[in-house]
Amino acid sequence: MRFDPSVIAETWPLFLRGLGVTILCCALALALGLLLGAGIALARLSRRRWLRWPASVYVEVIRDTPFLVQAFLIYFLLPRYHIRLPATTAGVIALALYGAAAFAESIRGAVLSVARGQVEAARAVGMSHLLTMRRIVRPQMMSYLIPSLTNQFIGLVKESSVLSIITVPELTMASALVLGRTFAAVEAYTVVAALYWGLTLTIAVAMGAFERGMAGGPRPARGRMPLLIEGRES
Amino acid sequence: MGRRAAVNLELRYAVQALPLLLRGALVTLETSLLAIVLGIVVGVALTVLRQARVRPVEWACQVYMSVMRGTPLFIQILIVYYVLPGLGFDIPRFAAGVVALSLNSGAYVTEILRGGLSMIPRGQVDAARSVGMSRALMWRHVLLPQAIALVLPPLTVEFTSLLKASALLSVIAVVELTRTAQQIIAATFRPVELWLAAGALYFVMCFALGGAARWLEHRAAVYRT
Repeated sequence: MRFDPSVIAETWPLFLRGLGVTILCCALALALGLLLGAGIALARLSRRRWLRWPASVYVEVIRDTPFLVQAFLIYFLLPRYHIRLPATTAGVIALALYGAAAFAESIRGAVLSVARGQVEAARAVGMSHLLTMRRIVRPQMMSYLIPSLTNQFIGLVKESSVLSIITVPELTMASALVLGRTFAAVEAYTVVAALYWGLTLTIAVAMGAFERGMAGGPRPARGRMPLLIEGRES
Repeated sequence: MGRRAAVNLELRYAVQALPLLLRGALVTLETSLLAIVLGIVVGVALTVLRQARVRPVEWACQVYMSVMRGTPLFIQILIVYYVLPGLGFDIPRFAAGVVALSLNSGAYVTEILRGGLSMIPRGQVDAARSVGMSRALMWRHVLLPQAIALVLPPLTVEFTSLLKASALLSVIAVVELTRTAQQIIAATFRPVELWLAAGALYFVMCFALGGAARWLEHRAAVYRT
């Protein structure tokens, strides 16, 4: 078995389209997931039990079940209520619901990472709860939030490959299409793996640079390992 | 009427399937347990290799970790299952699945091990040395007991991740929990009921393991400085 580059020369539009769908799905899921996740995080931080409880249950259920099962459930649940959606839409919904739980934990962790005394001091000088959040908590939680969200997002990008199982035409599906046409397994999987690696590395490097820019200076501890990617899927 | 019947959950399908699903869950547990054990072996090997201070070796370890963490596990499983046989390795699907899971897991376990060892203060090594302990004695009585207590909670979390990730082995037809659910769905066409049941079983396993991890974390707190 050897590597035959001519296969890629013939099939690259398939890979490119798959990559496009993957990026689109992940970007949409990121936007929707962040919105929902912020709400869930605030609910979990709330003093009211009726807000805290459902949010905690949601996060726990999503985090303690495989994404594959969640995707299947949504894919089959929607038609039962006569909601007919294309597979890609169902996939984005599943990915966003999954991402929301992960992002919520990041946001909650970031808020809690700000020293308690900071909040107490702000309240003591008469700042309102909202003002405290905006002026005191938000700026200080960023150094925790950005790397944490980056890891979760990379996890989400990797998890999105599962969407091919519910027939979303994303990057992993492209390898199946190429395989069906050419039987070139080595080439198909190598290209797809390389594209995913490029995508996650780009996210890791870009967010690292963004974080350094926000911190206002280089941070050697992270810069030393440019290849290191964190973010566990599932 | 037809519409209502379609919307109603008929949980008896889930209940009827329970014995088969439980058997699938057992395979899921088995697979993940094997994968975490082999993953720890891979992780230890990586940790030792990274200490070697040989540039190319260090570099190779970094690339390995980066690729394993930077590409979807799903693709890795497909590569192990479809590509390796073509290179002359003929392995059954169950073995291919476990190998893929543990190769992936090793890239995360090595970070856990490094984190655990780095939490033990340097002074303990100096102290052990100054009372005349040999290297082996120091590892056995000073470093390992603390390191194990410190890495056990994150390793339990990693095990939980593997348990969920093993659902992907259904794609290469390993008959674990997810595959069992698919087979029953093919026979009964009750996808929602069956996925709810399978999801519930995954939840019970992962939730219990999460509790165990928190308990271990609580006990390991003694060693934290």
